[in-house]
Amino acid sequence: MADHDHKPAPMVDEVSDFEILELAVRELAIEKGLFSAEDHRVWTEYVHTLGPLPAARLVAKAWLDPEYKKLCEEDGVEASKAVGIDWVMTPPTHFGTPSDYCNLRVLVDTPKLKHVVVCTLCSCYPRPILGQSPEWYRTPNYRRRLVRWPRQVLSEFGMQLPEDVEVRVADSNQKTRYIVMPVRPEGTEGWTEDQLAEIVTRDCLIGVALPKPGITSNAKRPVLKAKNPVHHDH
Amino acid sequence: MSSSTREEVLRHLQTVGQLQPALHKQTHAPAPTEITHTLYRAYTRSAHDVGGEYDVPIEWHEKEEEVWELNTFATCECLAWRGVWTAEERRRRQNVDVGQTIYLGLPYYGRWLMTAALILIDKQYVTLTELHDKIEEVRKRYEQS
Repeated sequence: MADHDHKPAPMVDEVSDFEILELAVRELAIEKGLFSAEDHRVWTEYVHTLGPLPAARLVAKAWLDPEYKKLCEEDGVEASKAVGIDWVMTPPTHFGTPSDYCNLRVLVDTPKLKHVVVCTLCSCYPRPILGQSPEWYRTPNYRRRLVRWPRQVLSEFGMQLPEDVEVRVADSNQKTRYIVMPVRPEGTEGWTEDQLAEIVTRDCLIGVALPKPGITSNAKRPVLKAKNPVHHDH
Repeated sequence: MSSSTREEVLRHLQTVGQLQPALHKQTHAPAPTEITHTLYRAYTRSAHDVGGEYDVPIEWHEKEEEVWELNTFATCECLAWRGVWTAEERRRRQNVDVGQTIYLGLPYYGRWLMTAALILIDKQYVTLTELHDKIEEVRKRYEQS
């Protein structure tokens, strides 16, 4: 084998096979009239608008308003409207996104109950209200272990739960998506909705972190760099 | 993809050999009587059904999204928006039908992308030749730019 001079170099400087195939598939689909270039542009723009802010606001609002909290528990899709997300009408289709369906459940933590979300079969994630899923959420590793060793996995994310706190893992599927409403932390008395929303990070909404005054971003983790990265608006 | 020299063919076979899943049980296309209920159930499990499998702790990463990944997501959603497939069909194809090697071996959106290419072929919107020609055309365009 003449393998010595052929170290498997990652595709960095040249165009990748994925980039070529992506363009080929998109152009063929448009040429055949399966969808239009405008459809694709509109969809991409829609994705650019997505992120965890509406879900953070939903939680902050519910912390301040018991009536709204009740609505969140009873009908997550209806409650989403108050933070600007209409699961049916906001996506460009006006019939919801094809892949997320329209059934959001808000899992309400208590001091003795902690929820955390996974999708063992896929990587289902409430995109319309939380944006694109993080890389670690998509790994087979997270999906394998969280349902069986949740306390250990949570401790790897920096959350040490006392024995008397029950952990409940929600396994998403094609028709049901979840976000976690953590317990409002101490030290936030008298805060405004804006202030509260700032500490409800994406990781808090998935359930692998707890909100804390002064912490407004996800825990620092190594970032796998893209060759040609997307720049989102936020 | 064609391999033009003996050296390329050997390198390709060696790489493919390394991607074969490691089986911890001898397999020899056995007689039906050798398949117990337990084995039957295990063989009919699909590769994406990973909940509860053993694994060791790893370092959790964030990842920047590639432009082609976002474009692939948009393409797949547009194909569903305009009725070419449903999300359930897409999931079945990209999680189950790809098999374990591709399922665990390709990037997340790499599977989406392959599946989008295959649906155009399988539903006869394009021929395999058209896809090959388009890939070559795009590659040449990149090389010239």
